[in-house]
Amino acid sequence: MSISFEHVSHIYSKGTPYEYKALTDINLEIEEGKMTAVIGQTGSGKSTLVQHLNALLLPEEGTIHILDRVITAGEKPKKLKSLRGDVGLVFQFPEYQLFEETVLKDVAFGPKNFGVPEEEAQKKAKQALRLVGLPEDVYEKSPLELSGGQKRRVAIAGILAMNPKVLVLDEPTAGLDPKGAVSMMSLFWDLNKKHGKTILIVTHDMEHVFHYCDNVVVMADGRVSLHTNVKEFFKDTSLCKGLNILPPALLRMKDLLKENGFDVPEDVMDETALAKCIARQVKKNG
Amino acid sequence: MGNITLGRYIPLDSPVHKMDPRAKIMAMLLVLISIFFPAGWTGYAIIFVAVAGVIILSKLSFKFIWKAMKPMLFMLVFLLFINIFFTKTGDLWLEIGNFTIYSDAILNTLYIAVRLLLMIMITTALTATTKPLDMTLGIEDLLTPFKKIHVPAHEIAMLISIALRFIPDLIEETERIIKAQESRGVDLREGKFSEKIMAILSLIVPLFVSAFQRAEDLANAMEARGYAPGEKRTRYKVLKMHMRDYILLLGAAAILTGMILLAYFL
Repeated sequence: MSISFEHVSHIYSKGTPYEYKALTDINLEIEEGKMTAVIGQTGSGKSTLVQHLNALLLPEEGTIHILDRVITAGEKPKKLKSLRGDVGLVFQFPEYQLFEETVLKDVAFGPKNFGVPEEEAQKKAKQALRLVGLPEDVYEKSPLELSGGQKRRVAIAGILAMNPKVLVLDEPTAGLDPKGAVSMMSLFWDLNKKHGKTILIVTHDMEHVFHYCDNVVVMADGRVSLHTNVKEFFKDTSLCKGLNILPPALLRMKDLLKENGFDVPEDVMDETALAKCIARQVKKNG
Repeated sequence: MGNITLGRYIPLDSPVHKMDPRAKIMAMLLVLISIFFPAGWTGYAIIFVAVAGVIILSKLSFKFIWKAMKPMLFMLVFLLFINIFFTKTGDLWLEIGNFTIYSDAILNTLYIAVRLLLMIMITTALTATTKPLDMTLGIEDLLTPFKKIHVPAHEIAMLISIALRFIPDLIEETERIIKAQESRGVDLREGKFSEKIMAILSLIVPLFVSAFQRAEDLANAMEARGYAPGEKRTRYKVLKMHMRDYILLLGAAAILTGMILLAYFL
C-alpha cells in the first residue's frame, strides 16, 4: 500500500471570514495498480482530496503517504517536483491549460519541465498523442483550432507524456458527448490494464464506475462515507439508494425484472448474461 | 492569491455596512481632499481619530488595514533613502564622515507615510464595507448630474461593475491555471530566468484565452436578454439616504472645513 491518508483535514482561507473546512479526518488507502472511482455530491470534497495527491494542496492536519514520500501537516514537503512527475493530475476541463503554438510543443512542455531534452520530449509527446488516439495531422496545428474533445485529449496527453506512475483525473468526461466519454473511459481502462498505471478518477457517472472501475470511494461533507470494491458496491441497489445515487441501468433493469417475477441470479453482471437469463426464462414459461 | 486585502469586500454586520454608498463615496472624497491641506500634525491627528472611529464602528480589524498597508512599505523605504540623500534642509540630526541626515528628510518621509496610511485607511473603510454592486449604483447616481455634459454615467457604472464582478473569477481562474501548470512541472518560485519566462507565459496565454471567452459569453448573454446601453432602465434596488448617512456626510464636511481653516491660520 503506497498511497494512504491518515487523519487528513483541509481548511480553505484559514483565519478569514471565508474560512471553510473542506476535508475532515480522512483515512483512506488507495490500492496500487487498480482503478479507483471517487464519487460524491458537488462540494463533498472530491477535488480537494485529489489535489492533495500531488501536493498542490497541503494538509492542515494529518499525514499522507504517496509512493515513497511522506507529506506531514505543518512541514514543508521536499522533492515536490519529482512527486508531480510521478503523480499526474488532470484537472476538470484541462483544455484551458493549453498555451503553446502547436499541439506537439504543448504536450512536450511537461517532460521538458522535468529536464527531459528536447528530442526525447518530442518522442514522448508523440507517444502520448498516439496513446490518446489523435491523428498525426493535428500535431502541428494550434491547440486552439481543435474541437473540445480533441483539446481535452491533447491536455491529457500533456500529462501522460510525463509518464506518471499514478494518474489522477478530475471529471475527465464532463462536457463530452456520450461516444467521446466512452472512448475516454476505455483509454483510462487501457492505461490501467495494459500499462499498469494506478488510476484515480473523480466522476458523477455511475455507468463509468460500474463498467470500468475496481474500487469506489464515496465522499460526503468532507468525509469518506464508504470505501469498497465496485462488485460489492453494486451487488444490489440498496447501497446506492441509501446514498441517494441513481444505480447503473443494468441494476435498475434487474430490479425491474425481479419485481415482475423473474428470477435473476446475483452474479449476472453484464448485458449479454442478463439477456441470456431473460431469454431462458421467457422460453421456459412460454 | 486568496489573501489579497486591497479593495476586498468583507461581509460583516455593522452600521457602516448599512450606510448609503453615495454618502460613503462622497464622505471618502471629502476626507481624501482634506488630507492634502497642509494642516500639520494636529490636522492629521484629527483625521486619524475620525477615520479610526469609522473603522471601529465598521467592525473591521486593524490587522486587516495593516495587511493592506504592507505592500506600500517597500515604496516608503525607497522614499526614505531618496529623501536622506537629497533633502539637506532643517536641523542636522546625524553626521558620520561625509554622510549626513537632516531633520527634514525624516519628517518629509513621515509626512508621506502618514498621508498614505490615512488614504489606505479611508479607501479600505469604503471598499471593505460596500458591496461592489452597491458601489457602482452609488457611482452611477453621483455621475448622473454630469449627464448634461454628455458623461455616459450608466455606461461607466456598467463598465465598473462588470470589471469588479470579474475580479474574483479571474483570480480563481488564475489559481486554477497555476495549479494545472504546476501539475505539469512548472516551477513558479524557483528555476532559471528563461524557465520563469516560460512559466509566466504558460499562465498568461490560457488566462487571456479564457478572459476573451468570458467576455464574449457575457456580451451574448446580455444581448440575448435585450440589454441596450442607451435605454432607460428601472432599478431593482433603490437607494435611500437615512439619518446616519447625513451624519457621515456632515462629519466629512466638518473635517474638510476644519482642515481648510487650520491650513489658513497656521
